[in-house]
Amino acid sequence: MAILEIKNFTFRYPQAARPALKDISLSVAKGEFVGITGPTGAGKTTLACCLNGIIPHFQGGEATGRIELDGLSIFNKSTAQISRLVGSVFQDPEAQIISSEVEQELAFGLENLGFAPVEMEKRISEVLELAGIPDLRHRSTIGLSGGQKQRVAIACALAMRPEILLLDEPTSELDPVGTEEVFQVLSRLNHEHGITVLVVEQKTEQLAAHAGRILVLDDGALVMDGEPWQVFARQRELQAIGVKIPQVTKLAGMLGGSDKYSLPLTVEQARIYIERLVRS
Amino acid sequence: MAAAVEYIQKDSPVHRLNAATKIFWALFTLACGLLFNDYRYLLGLLASVLLVAAAGRVLKNLLPAITGLSVFALILLLIQALFYDQGQVIFHLIPQTSYLPVTNYGILSGVAMAARMLSLVLSFLVLLATTRIQDMVLTMVEKFKMPYDYAFMFMTTLRFIPTFLGEVRQITDAQKARGHAVEGFNPFKKIRSYAPVTVPLVLISLNKAENMAMAMETRGYGGGRRTYFKEPKMRGADYLLTAVLLLLLVLGVTARVKGLGVM
Amino acid sequence: MTAARQPLIKVENLTYQYNGAQPVLKNISLEIGRGECLAVIGQNGSGKTTLVKHFNGLLKPSSGRVYINGRDTGPQKVSTLARTVGYVFQNPDHQIFHDTVGKEVAFGLKNLRLPAEEIERRVNEALEAVGLTGHYATYPFNLSKGQRQRVALASVLAMHTEVIVLDEPTTGQDYRESVQIMEMVKNLHEKGHTIVFITHDMSLVARYAARTVVLCEGEILADAPVRAVFAQPELLARSYLKPPQITLLAQELGKRAIPPDVISVREMYDLLQKARADKIGCCG
Repeated sequence: MAILEIKNFTFRYPQAARPALKDISLSVAKGEFVGITGPTGAGKTTLACCLNGIIPHFQGGEATGRIELDGLSIFNKSTAQISRLVGSVFQDPEAQIISSEVEQELAFGLENLGFAPVEMEKRISEVLELAGIPDLRHRSTIGLSGGQKQRVAIACALAMRPEILLLDEPTSELDPVGTEEVFQVLSRLNHEHGITVLVVEQKTEQLAAHAGRILVLDDGALVMDGEPWQVFARQRELQAIGVKIPQVTKLAGMLGGSDKYSLPLTVEQARIYIERLVRS
Repeated sequence: MAAAVEYIQKDSPVHRLNAATKIFWALFTLACGLLFNDYRYLLGLLASVLLVAAAGRVLKNLLPAITGLSVFALILLLIQALFYDQGQVIFHLIPQTSYLPVTNYGILSGVAMAARMLSLVLSFLVLLATTRIQDMVLTMVEKFKMPYDYAFMFMTTLRFIPTFLGEVRQITDAQKARGHAVEGFNPFKKIRSYAPVTVPLVLISLNKAENMAMAMETRGYGGGRRTYFKEPKMRGADYLLTAVLLLLLVLGVTARVKGLGVM
Repeated sequence: MTAARQPLIKVENLTYQYNGAQPVLKNISLEIGRGECLAVIGQNGSGKTTLVKHFNGLLKPSSGRVYINGRDTGPQKVSTLARTVGYVFQNPDHQIFHDTVGKEVAFGLKNLRLPAEEIERRVNEALEAVGLTGHYATYPFNLSKGQRQRVALASVLAMHTEVIVLDEPTTGQDYRESVQIMEMVKNLHEKGHTIVFITHDMSLVARYAARTVVLCEGEILADAPVRAVFAQPELLARSYLKPPQITLLAQELGKRAIPPDVISVREMYDLLQKARADKIGCCG
């Protein structure tokens, strides 16, 4: 069953000459791990903002078409209502952490929604486990590394028990260690707990390894939508758009790979594929 | 100094006290410091503040601040000693002459000034070091009926001080690297030479504020009735301590009216 | 006479600590010659930025010495060193404060007190070098982040410094913008500038640097040609780094036909084609 349904959605910022999103249609089923990529200015962040209620509640603009969460249009909902459906994690680890202590940070959203302290306690312990950071519970937020901060942000989003976890370039300011931490957590949440993940990301190597589906946006339009190998099979187009192809997938493409079995997405898959190729 | 304004997580009797009790204690210290000017009373007050710091196990953490303040206190003492010419001359600062006499009263009033300053500042540092900001905010909202939005603003401001100091450092470095130098004594030039730092700082801060507002929005801020995860309760010790402090304050005022504790 | 021989940057037993805390850099020694292109890599907190900030005097050693062109940076002002060492920061928004791109680029030149015509000439030249000709009068914040990074680069470039230091110049930028910036850096290197850049992107290190210094907890873990460093994955792992995917693949494939220091897709492709043609199993 589709948890998110976008139909012919077009959006234009106030005073903008051209729409930021053009006629987007897609549907996401419960339990999917979807990566959204594309060059700067392609509309990725705008799309994310349309899903978590920042648009139209925080930023205005002109929208046509429909976005439905769980069968209901999100434009009639308040941001507080949307916050229970879509948990958001943003790019800047610094700006989205509001409190000076991790536990209090986790409680913040729940307090806003008026939960009872007993329920908060239960959920805080639960999401700390989910994000793999129970040891950070009583830490000050100031001394955390970028990867830790983003995992705290993920835990905060999860505390609202949303239908979808939506992340907008969560690793762009992180080093490789932090990036890996974030993607490990996302993978686990998706595989072991069936949480639907939508992540806007430039690092396509990570998407290839973790996402089950990749969307490519270019100039406001959804130009590709498929399993990672299907997307990365279109190497010439991706190059023209300016999307990086993972090195091993690129190599396989140069060697003539064109289907699921000949377009490895990780180093391990590439090793198996090439060993077979060279032996034959 | 920036490090001294931070909450220091420890398990101590002082940490366990309600924020309201500690705020009251800091105000009590302030009142006593202003009531008396006898050096013995003020040294006693300073000792009591240090005792509370020790009980809160933050004495060591406050040591850099105490050292810094002591230098300041010493200067205060020196100034006071030099400009106070009442009393008996003990010695002259320039030996064998009659210049810069230092009197016994001068020294004692200098000690009083220094002890007062140290007590007042340290009591607030102890309060901040042993009380979580959110507890203080909650106390302001619940006990002093401050609107949550204002209390929240106060809390976030404290939270973002280290962030902004970091930004200032980065911006300053970036401009210095392009040969910019804040030099010279011409005040007009000096003000103009701050633009390379203030303009990016304002723009970055606005950007951060907007990002933060977005993050708050998606977490249901301002959505309706709020609850609080941890509402600190007033316990027996809090009531007892508040009562004792109140009693001491009454005694103090009475003593002052009777002319005690004044030189 | 010896001036031509001495290294452009010489770091001697550099230790740096802030206010008596744990040292961020521990007894670092390093020489960078004229015309080198060097990448500094390492996990966040390994001391990369702290090290390169010593090159233009933003930081001064707690102990040890840093020499630029044979002169100790200790007594020199940053504004003096800025004539020799240019520094491009990670976030261009930490420096841009003028209302036009042209004025922004001219800022450093005015600090050098150059004559107006010279400034004009250099600004135009720098804007051309970063592909922003025609944006002289543009309001910088109407540009994309990638373009603003190029403004920052131009503003350093215009100062005609021998050394250009870039601290994570591609972080937060998309693939195309990253490549654009790095191509410009490559160009500057070819024109004779000495380049030192910090990055987390190992494929950029493979593609653009000749030598790399690996930092780990304030110490130099490795200082060698890029290939030699990437050929030692255990060593990189100690600094929580991984070589590029293609190098990892080469190392996974075994040692016979594919060497462990392959650093580009093209190179790997050629090797595999050859292996297939020779019918040599690469994996025994």
